[in-house]
Amino acid sequence: MSSSEAVRCRGLVRRFGEREALGGVDLDVGEGELVLLTGPNGAGKTTLLRVLATVLRPTGGRAAVFGSELPRSANPARRLLGYAGHEPLLYPLLTAAENLRLYAALQGVDEAAVGPALERVGLARRATDRVSNLSRGMRQRLSLARATLHGPRLLLLDEPVSGLDEEGRGVLRSLLGENGVTALVATHEPQWFAPMPARVVTLRDGRVQG
Amino acid sequence: MTRAVLALVRKDLLLELRGREVVPAMVTFVLASFVLFRFALGGDRLGGGVRAATGLLWVAVVFTAMLGLTRAFAQEREHGIWDGLLATPVDRAAVWLAKACSTFVFLVAMQAVALPLFWLFFLQEGDGPSIPVLIGALVLADAGIASLGAMLAGLASASHAREVLLPVLFLPFAVPLVLVGVQVSVATISPQTSALDTLQRLGFLGLYATIFALLGWALFEYVVED
Repeated sequence: MSSSEAVRCRGLVRRFGEREALGGVDLDVGEGELVLLTGPNGAGKTTLLRVLATVLRPTGGRAAVFGSELPRSANPARRLLGYAGHEPLLYPLLTAAENLRLYAALQGVDEAAVGPALERVGLARRATDRVSNLSRGMRQRLSLARATLHGPRLLLLDEPVSGLDEEGRGVLRSLLGENGVTALVATHEPQWFAPMPARVVTLRDGRVQG
Repeated sequence: MTRAVLALVRKDLLLELRGREVVPAMVTFVLASFVLFRFALGGDRLGGGVRAATGLLWVAVVFTAMLGLTRAFAQEREHGIWDGLLATPVDRAAVWLAKACSTFVFLVAMQAVALPLFWLFFLQEGDGPSIPVLIGALVLADAGIASLGAMLAGLASASHAREVLLPVLFLPFAVPLVLVGVQVSVATISPQTSALDTLQRLGFLGLYATIFALLGWALFEYVVED
């Protein structure tokens, strides 16, 4: 794998029992590239992101993140990627700052990173509010702060525009526009990303089209 | 790793302080069990039922622990937070250890209320078990239940039938714990057995906790990663 490749999948397969969610995906994502994953519901977009986020183990084929083969070398890959799923992946009864402090401990990042991360997503003044008291858009912004707390080089974002308020969309644009950040984004709204240079990849029935 | 474990335990304690989902339910359950046992053992006069009551204390402890374990990974499951935890480079053993530690704290908190209730309901007449031995046995049993339970709760949490699966997995493993717990407690009611017997049985409870701690540490990664 070339050092300029952030993601490399070859014949990647993932099954859930009898059902084949990914049926041999071949995909390369270059470093610094923005790739939009599109396709109908059930095409395998979320499964692909979860495999690359090391949340699911591949059933077959190969996947690598910055040269680290999954699942064998998952831990080096985990330090380099930030994953934001459908759900914000936050504890509703903890405050915004407590959630980020927890993830800072899990990522091995200094707690001092929490303040700037909240600042960046415009939630510094809501740091002591419980997540259950935040609006959906705020939770999505906090989810972005969580996913980027450790300064990942690869962002794996699942429908990030959905539920985001205008301020959050600005945050997302600035995150994706940062120098050197690679992003693989599953979305039903590729047109939203139109001002940014992006490559569109379509998944259908667990395979890359075209 | 220590930092991650402490952060995860702190998170569990904060969630329990704010949500009050586990400990109050366990205390209510154990109180209800004692009331039922008291009536089942003879109502007004317990007579020679102290031994039976001591045995039933252990049954109540195990079933109450299971009630708590069904909620062990509830927050992670209900809010999809597993994905967030698994995507971090934290050692999976740290996640198990943190859950075992918080489960242990919840069990001890429940028993801090349950033991005075047990004394009130069952130990007002005649000889009872040695309280220091009973506390020692319960603490060792709690360590075993927490070690085993955190691993099995993680395993069951991935299943749709988790409420059924956890008792089916947990109860067979809990049998030796109850047997030895009952033996060590009842043996201290007069006529007493030797101190060596008591130490051997406490040693078994310690060994049980150690074995399942080692298994939890080594196997949790395979339990939670799909």
